[in-house]
Amino acid sequence: MKYQRGISTFGAVLLAGTAGLLTATLMMDWMVVDVHVLDVSETDDIHADVPLHIKVPFPLLIADIATGFIPEEALQEARIPPEARVHKELVVETIRALLDSPDAELVKVRTEDANVDIYKDGDTLRIAVDADDAVVRCNVPIDGILEALEDWDWETVDPQMVFDILHAAENGDLVTVATDDGVRVAIKMW
Amino acid sequence: MKRKVVILVAIAALLAAPAAYAGDETRWVNVHVTENSSNTNVEVHLPLNLVLTVLRNVDVENFHGGHVDLELDDDMDINFPEIMAAVKDAPDGKFVTVTSDEADVNVHKQAGNLYVTVNQKEDEMAQVEVTMPMELMDALSFGEENTLDIAALLQSLDQLPNGDIVKVTSNEANVRVWIE
Repeated sequence: MKYQRGISTFGAVLLAGTAGLLTATLMMDWMVVDVHVLDVSETDDIHADVPLHIKVPFPLLIADIATGFIPEEALQEARIPPEARVHKELVVETIRALLDSPDAELVKVRTEDANVDIYKDGDTLRIAVDADDAVVRCNVPIDGILEALEDWDWETVDPQMVFDILHAAENGDLVTVATDDGVRVAIKMW
Repeated sequence: MKRKVVILVAIAALLAAPAAYAGDETRWVNVHVTENSSNTNVEVHLPLNLVLTVLRNVDVENFHGGHVDLELDDDMDINFPEIMAAVKDAPDGKFVTVTSDEADVNVHKQAGNLYVTVNQKEDEMAQVEVTMPMELMDALSFGEENTLDIAALLQSLDQLPNGDIVKVTSNEANVRVWIE
């Protein structure tokens, strides 16, 4: 039998599988938790003599699947107070009106200890806090929150809601915190 | 040829700019609070529509759907619409002048606006200036059960020219509310 050059069935399947996995990985929403401790002199851990840097990439799809395994009884027990339910219309309509509003700086606070700025930028609400001991940046996806709150039953705690909001967040920094004692925490969407 | 096209595009852009600006009809409610003792400065800049949406959906004690309960005694028979109509039709001049050791209060009408000024003479030494355009009088809508439609009042701000609505100056803090 004459030897024919070409790709084997196993190779083709492996290649297709790898390509599929790579495509799925790229198409998935990822959350990256990045914790960076620059100054370890204050820590109690005597072995911590080098700056600490932990980066945890986390596919949201896994979280979506994981929430499906939470026992129904546990969610039923975590009931939302009826007082909160009364304000559903107010909250939803306010967020919808905010989403429809033109982009602008909505709130500006200047004190001796801290500055706070809240901007609306497209579908994102950008919150910036510059305090003496910490700098916080937060980018809140308004459209994601609106969608999640509209779909929510307002009766039981729904962990899926959090991930729905995260899916709607723009790529880049979701939250960054930098403290004056050298801790940097960033939650990024990718 | 290219230069002509560039010049034409530039002229078109210049002509379109004011038109685009005029098309942005969002009215903004501004609140500026300055606390003197702590050097705190708060600036809030919200679209009128957003404020109205909040007001119309708030449902708490004495405030429902944009209506505030004035909590007047049942035996008080005040015809608010009639009073408002009388104020609106009245000629310009001073309506109320109160002078006391605590504060001076002045209510006067001038050039289509009703002005209420309070000059406190003790405690916080506050100076309050409220400017109420006559158009707002039409928007003052009182319900049968002594309720005032605050949402309708704010809605009417949409038709008003830019300007101050409330201005408070005192030793402790300064507050300015205006529409633009």
